[in-house]
Amino acid sequence: MSAETWAIAQFTVQMALLATALTLPLAIAAGWVLARHSFPGKALVETVVSLPLVLPPVATGLLLLWLFGRRSPVGQALDALGIEVVFTWKAVVIAMMVVSFPLVARSVRSGIEQVDRRYEDLAATLGATPFRILRTITLPLASRGIVAGAILGFSRALGEFGATIMVAGAIPGRTQTLAVGIYTFVETGREEAAWGLLLLSALLAFGAIYVSNRLVEVRA
Amino acid sequence: MIALTIDVTLRQQAFELHVRESSAVEVLGVFGPSGSGKTSLLEAIAGIRTPDAGEVRVGDRVLFSSASRINLPARERHIGYVPQDALLFPNLDVAGNIDYGVRHSRRALPGMPQLRSTLIEILDLGPLLVRRVQKLSGGEKQRVAIARALMTQPAVLLLDEPLAGVDRARRDRILPYVLRIRRDLHVPLVYVTHDEAELNAIADRVLHLEGGRVVGPAAAP
Amino acid sequence: MTTSSPATKIVNWLAAGLAGLALSAPPVAAQPPGLVVSVAASMHAALEEIAVLYRAATGVTVALNTGSSNTLARQIVEGARASVFLSADELQMDMVEQAGRLVAGTRTRLLTNQLAIVAPSDAPATFSLAALLEGRVTRLAMGETASVPAGVYGRRWLEHEGAWSRLQPKMIPFPTVRAVLSAVEAGRVDAGIVYVTDARDSSARLVATLSTKEHAYLNIVQPAAVIVGPAEAEGRQFLRFLQGPAARAVFARRGFGHSER
Repeated sequence: MSAETWAIAQFTVQMALLATALTLPLAIAAGWVLARHSFPGKALVETVVSLPLVLPPVATGLLLLWLFGRRSPVGQALDALGIEVVFTWKAVVIAMMVVSFPLVARSVRSGIEQVDRRYEDLAATLGATPFRILRTITLPLASRGIVAGAILGFSRALGEFGATIMVAGAIPGRTQTLAVGIYTFVETGREEAAWGLLLLSALLAFGAIYVSNRLVEVRA
Repeated sequence: MIALTIDVTLRQQAFELHVRESSAVEVLGVFGPSGSGKTSLLEAIAGIRTPDAGEVRVGDRVLFSSASRINLPARERHIGYVPQDALLFPNLDVAGNIDYGVRHSRRALPGMPQLRSTLIEILDLGPLLVRRVQKLSGGEKQRVAIARALMTQPAVLLLDEPLAGVDRARRDRILPYVLRIRRDLHVPLVYVTHDEAELNAIADRVLHLEGGRVVGPAAAP
Repeated sequence: MTTSSPATKIVNWLAAGLAGLALSAPPVAAQPPGLVVSVAASMHAALEEIAVLYRAATGVTVALNTGSSNTLARQIVEGARASVFLSADELQMDMVEQAGRLVAGTRTRLLTNQLAIVAPSDAPATFSLAALLEGRVTRLAMGETASVPAGVYGRRWLEHEGAWSRLQPKMIPFPTVRAVLSAVEAGRVDAGIVYVTDARDSSARLVATLSTKEHAYLNIVQPAAVIVGPAEAEGRQFLRFLQGPAARAVFARRGFGHSER
């Protein structure tokens, strides 16, 4: 395995770990709100949360490109602050976060829904605030679902391609992930290098699925 | 001893719960067949369920009043609740469960360490402290749940059929614990059961529920 | 706490492995600064060589962003910080120009190209338009004729020859030139239309080249330009290098022509 392949793999894993770490708190919040609360417009929120799952990744990438580009208020604000997103590693992380968020949120929601609400009610009678209940009872009891969601999100981030290539580009050494690398190498005729990346991607995906399955099997 | 005023209307699937009771006793027994609304009543007092109309008062505090639009959340009611199956938190060990109500509590409850050792002594929890809750027997779980509720020094303790899952022989061993709580700690109890013997042993006054309504004269047993 | 089950141990090991993998690289923030050049896939190999030369000559590292010209153009329109854009056809460059993203006066007709017909290696030695129309060729691979430059020009050629309507039923569109070449190499189609420079890196047989002289109307130009942005001066410098003798030699060796104008 060449140094280049190794570097691409490292970069991809780093980005995916960072993306998962950043997505997790947001997804836990969303999963908790959807699992435990009802409010007007909940269906709309559910739809928005699931949107990246349904949209083709390229479409998601286009949306992100517009959002962080010079023609949108967000992009202009970032520009004014001197923060570059498009074509940088930040775009890679953002693309990964957006596509993996629905997976993590759904898994968290499912995990929380399986927690008997009576535990939470009881904790309330003992004087715990809603946040304390979430932290000490709900989330620990939902940990299986949360961890499974995190692994799922991580795997998705590892393999993310369509949105990444749109908003981060395919710049070796800067924004080239495993998936983007495979595409670029094939496109520019470097088929053997592409196979090397493919092998590594497969190994990582295999590892992630294995861990995920073992977690499902483990009995408390 | 504390005055408990309950005037609760709660619409359920099978019936409508109507209870009106005002008493100042140490132990109020709630008696009735299963499905008569006993648990719903306790939940309404504890703040886990919101009645459709009525009032719940403990001493001078109004916990719920549909007329005045008051509905205190459970965590502010200072009502101890021991549900039928104990419902110990599976992710904590016994000590963790017992201490749950007082950890991170913003106001330091006076005499807490003393209370803890008293409860552990009264309820014989010493050998159980580091055990995981899954490994406890039904009776042991109930005792832990009682300690857990009492650690927060509630104004009233609600016990939902605490001896229901326990066999006769053990029951006779656990009932003394409950009596000791009454005798040594003077915490008013609302004690729900469908067993007459327990009622006779413990209650000062009995509320007889059937199909969601109070039937017969509520009387001292 | 109870002791870990075997599964927990495995999970822990895998997690540690991943963490080790992630941490063994230099921090992400330390990314190499350099010139970002967006280059269409067909010119990527040439630019890789040229970038090496440029680094030797100036010490500046060029980071190449590859993709389809359409995607590259779109990124630039939305403000992506590329300094130079090399497009596989004029259409995408027009889009960027209309959006006001080109530095005025820097657009240049950097390269020219020619269409070529490729076929699986066991095909007959010579191929012409007539051969395409024969029954022998039942499947013809081309890039999407609305978006892929080689497809756009391919169609223009066939329309010019009055053969488009007859060939269209045999035509299978592909999203990229690479996909066209793969299909030809694998023998899944009988022939394909690509740029002559694309054909060089492929094991498919080049059976016909549509010379610029005979097909001047095609006028396949691959332009380059400097993009508006903070690295404009560096971009201009690189564009000059692309027009210089060292770069020209690389392009010529790979089959690109250059515009006289």
